[in-house]
Amino acid sequence: MASSLDELKTAIRKALPGLDVVIAWTAGPDALSHAPLFITEEADVARIEWDPRCSQNLAGYLPGLRGKKAGIVAKGCDVRSIVELLQEKLIDREDVVIFGLDCQGAVDARSARAALGSSRGVRDVAIDGASVCFSVNGEPRFFSPGEVLQSKCFGCAGADAGLCDHFAGERGLPPQFGNPPESTLERLEAMDMEERLRFWETQMSRCIRCYACRSACPLCVCQDHCAAQSREPHWVDQTDHPREKLMFQAIHALHTAGRCTECGECERACPMGLPVMTLKRALNRRIKDVFDYQAGIDPNQTPPLFEFREVETNIKEREW
Amino acid sequence: MNIGVFVCHCGSNIAGTVDTEAVAKAALEYREVVFATDAMYACSEPGQAGIVEAIGTYALDGVVVASCTPRMHEATFRRTLERAGLNRYMFEMANIREHVSWVGKDKAANTRKAAELVHMAVEKLRRNERLQAGEFDIAKRVMVIGGGVAGIQAALDCADGGLEVVLVEREPSIGGKMSKLDKTFPTVDCSSCILGPKMVDVAQHPNITLYALSEVDSVDGFVGNFNVTVRRKAAYVDWDACTGCGECAAKCPSKKTPDRFNEFIGLTTAINIPFPQAIPKKASINANACIKLTKGKCGACAKVCPTGAIRFDQKDELVTEKVGAIIAATGYDLFDFTKYGEYGGGRYPDVITAMQYERLLSASGPTEGHIRRPSDGAEPRDIVFIQCVGSRDKSIGRPYCTGFCCMYTAKQTILTKDHMPDSQSYVFYMDIRSPGKNYDEFTRRAMEEYGAKYIRGRVSAIQPKNGRYLVKGADTLLGRQVEIEADLVVLAVGAEAARGAGELAEKLRISYDPYGFFLEGHPKLKPVETNTAGVYLAGSCQGPKDIPSSVAQGGAAAAKALSLLSKDKLASDPQVSGVKLARCIGCGKCESVCPFGAIEMIEFRGMPKASIIETVCQGCGVCTAACPQGAAQLRHFTDNQILAEVNALCL
Amino acid sequence: MSVTEGKELRIIGFLCNWCSYAGADTAGVGRFAQPTDLRIVRLPCTGRINPLFIVRAFMNGADGVLVSGCHPRDCHYSEGNFYARRRLETLKALLPVIGVDPGRFEYTWVSASEGQRWRSVVASFTEQVHALGSMPRFMSGTSLDLCLRPAVQPRVF
Repeated sequence: MASSLDELKTAIRKALPGLDVVIAWTAGPDALSHAPLFITEEADVARIEWDPRCSQNLAGYLPGLRGKKAGIVAKGCDVRSIVELLQEKLIDREDVVIFGLDCQGAVDARSARAALGSSRGVRDVAIDGASVCFSVNGEPRFFSPGEVLQSKCFGCAGADAGLCDHFAGERGLPPQFGNPPESTLERLEAMDMEERLRFWETQMSRCIRCYACRSACPLCVCQDHCAAQSREPHWVDQTDHPREKLMFQAIHALHTAGRCTECGECERACPMGLPVMTLKRALNRRIKDVFDYQAGIDPNQTPPLFEFREVETNIKEREW
Repeated sequence: MNIGVFVCHCGSNIAGTVDTEAVAKAALEYREVVFATDAMYACSEPGQAGIVEAIGTYALDGVVVASCTPRMHEATFRRTLERAGLNRYMFEMANIREHVSWVGKDKAANTRKAAELVHMAVEKLRRNERLQAGEFDIAKRVMVIGGGVAGIQAALDCADGGLEVVLVEREPSIGGKMSKLDKTFPTVDCSSCILGPKMVDVAQHPNITLYALSEVDSVDGFVGNFNVTVRRKAAYVDWDACTGCGECAAKCPSKKTPDRFNEFIGLTTAINIPFPQAIPKKASINANACIKLTKGKCGACAKVCPTGAIRFDQKDELVTEKVGAIIAATGYDLFDFTKYGEYGGGRYPDVITAMQYERLLSASGPTEGHIRRPSDGAEPRDIVFIQCVGSRDKSIGRPYCTGFCCMYTAKQTILTKDHMPDSQSYVFYMDIRSPGKNYDEFTRRAMEEYGAKYIRGRVSAIQPKNGRYLVKGADTLLGRQVEIEADLVVLAVGAEAARGAGELAEKLRISYDPYGFFLEGHPKLKPVETNTAGVYLAGSCQGPKDIPSSVAQGGAAAAKALSLLSKDKLASDPQVSGVKLARCIGCGKCESVCPFGAIEMIEFRGMPKASIIETVCQGCGVCTAACPQGAAQLRHFTDNQILAEVNALCL
Repeated sequence: MSVTEGKELRIIGFLCNWCSYAGADTAGVGRFAQPTDLRIVRLPCTGRINPLFIVRAFMNGADGVLVSGCHPRDCHYSEGNFYARRRLETLKALLPVIGVDPGRFEYTWVSASEGQRWRSVVASFTEQVHALGSMPRFMSGTSLDLCLRPAVQPRVF
């Protein structure tokens, strides 16, 4: 990927004088996931990293930079979040410069750490066809994509190069990894209703209410005004009860229904490793079936819950 | 907050199946309830006085009444609160009659349910705010849709009362069904002699603008400020120039045009004035029949028109009228009798509808008032009238009684005898329904003085026989079959909702019943109002009505419009949305879903924010449900109020 | 005493004021007997319904939720029920994932004149919920929660 990275750096150097900031990735404290880098001076460009550890979706920083000229480095999936922000007029297209990249897959740091036993000594990560190679203290260690990559990489639709102002690397089909590992949604579907409730009860009793899922979500633009921590309106009470925590997850899912691009930031950010994207995934599946809509595809579309058809062809209403 | 709860017995209506005393006792346990009692009739004068007194004695600042539906007495009790010095919105109702005592049989379950509904109401009330109504300007104009006798009466009364009136009529002339009638029951006075002058008054009234051959295209706005777009259909004649001289019709070569006004038993010309008393008396061209418009040649009318009024290139025109109130008076249509195969289903030329017969009786009709059979022009001698064709028949989806057919049939038998003394009328009926002033006397005269033979029973078949018709039926009083040879059969077709009634209701945002008749605000107490403020009903659009009832309702609707528009400003409903600026992040989701365009994006200290235009907001709450931060809140139905109700029910 | 001690289940109805609430009134005026489980929350429009009210109801232990509004195109506010239809259809995907049987939630349209229809909707929905039995409740809780619970529980005599 060296050539992509060089292309990217060149493009950013060229564009930087016209921009207030460019958001990219750089090596952070964790060897398995790169951290965001806010570039304001040319000297910073050298610090940019680009490899499968660039998992974080940087789009969430854009609404906070509104009014400034911002460049952003984006994987294909990240571009969908940008599209969604544009669609909802939460950012202005003329103020954003998108540097697209040919992503080959992004590491899920949590599972990679489990697979490796530790993140120490990881120097480089490369994806080569059907295997992911971690170079640990000079020793290559190979894993299958299902063991160490983010689940969203399995349904990757590729980079929307059309929307990108610059594109580094080869435009082409996204990597195909075959069947994804079993999702929580699939596991839930094998359960009966009470088991599902108990599943969430157990999961949510581990939730520490840190709201990292919300802070990481690129579409949670309310942030300080989140309904979860308000008494006007008082949707969730502060009782340390799985019911209230699940209620918050329902709020997050319904507030992002038809908007969520399944970027996975909520789960990536969760310190307890809770499967909090499951509800959003279930809603998205239905929205695809009923409204034939996927979020983050076309900046000129309206999210399906903010419009309607007088005759909804895919809705079968019950006869009484 | 000090809350008082009043549980109404409503006589035995509630107390019969709900232990109201136990409900009141339970209510005392709810938070902030300081007083609870049961009352015989909470809405009665002593009942209301009890509430006022308790407000004073217990320093109540909120009241819950558990009684009937809020759709009935919410306004009543709000006024009670105001009399006692409380804000009218510090009030909630628990509907323990329509939703409890009248539908549940188990007294214990009903009592529990009633207590929980009171609990919900208390929890909501605890979060109510004192709301103040604002004011907004109104247009002192009325639109009347439909120019039948009900609409004419409504238009004239409004206009006489000083309002500007826009009268919209779908047909080329006003007059409606009444203008087609020869005589009216029970006085047998001439229909056009009593309607004609009223039609002329409409034409001449300085306050009335008449749009004939026009339909309502769309309705925007709300009470006091409706914007109604009217489609003025092309008449292909410049009505400002047309003098109604009739030269064009006399010269029109297309003389075999079906005559709508004469119920298709006569023929007319492609360009015509529908009937001599038409208002406006203007010619219009039937585009389907006109040779020039269908084939491109002819233009005879244009050549003879002394004022050069013919416009073959005329197009529909849209005009928008701003009005403060709307009166729907769109009348009814006649049942399609071809649905009855046993009556010949339209195959026999001499089996006709009562309205067609009416045209035969009329001196201005196609036979100039001589009764002639459509098939051969012969004068009939034996005439069979069949009642309830499209009334009181579940099998064809018309279970209701049209109500006026018994009367017009009696009138037609009398007129038949007057026209042809040697004739004999037979009437097959189910029941005679004549409950009106002088109505029953009238049907008796038809039988006793005019010799009409009434046979109680249904007709099973009509068969042609030697140029006449063999009518086979049952006489259920004598318990035998009867067969009558008739020259002419007249079907008393019932009334059904006017064509397009449903679409108009949707435009006006009013409800309609399963048959398409518009729904009144309350079947007894609001027979003229609808559930949409500022929209009133007159005449048969609300349900089949005879002339006196239609005229009465036309006047009543006018009175409602006049009283509404007698004020210079209307009080705005404060139950509208409001945006808490501190919570709003300016995402604009509320603006994108508002059905009324009542939300605008503003800038507040450099930040985008949503702002509600309170006079435009109608209080639906679509924005509140769309706002992720809960910044937009529909007052009186806030998230917290509804959550409180949910939490009261289950937690 | 819990309401479920009798044979009743906890069913909440969210009804629009203009059509379905009036339709329920019409059913009452017509004395159309119905099961007593349902408790109705009156709203101006189904468009006012945040699907989260329904989630909240189930979280709190409701056994069934019924939404009813004006028929499509008959909305008093023109468009409210169209938005409601989309929101509620979407909600249908959420409920089963968190363990709420899809049969516990329905939405429908009942006009002000359809008292009979309202009766049959209430009767068949109540029957449907009874077939599913009571909604499983959250069992676990922190000690703090267990302390708080009696204070927030409504007293039902």
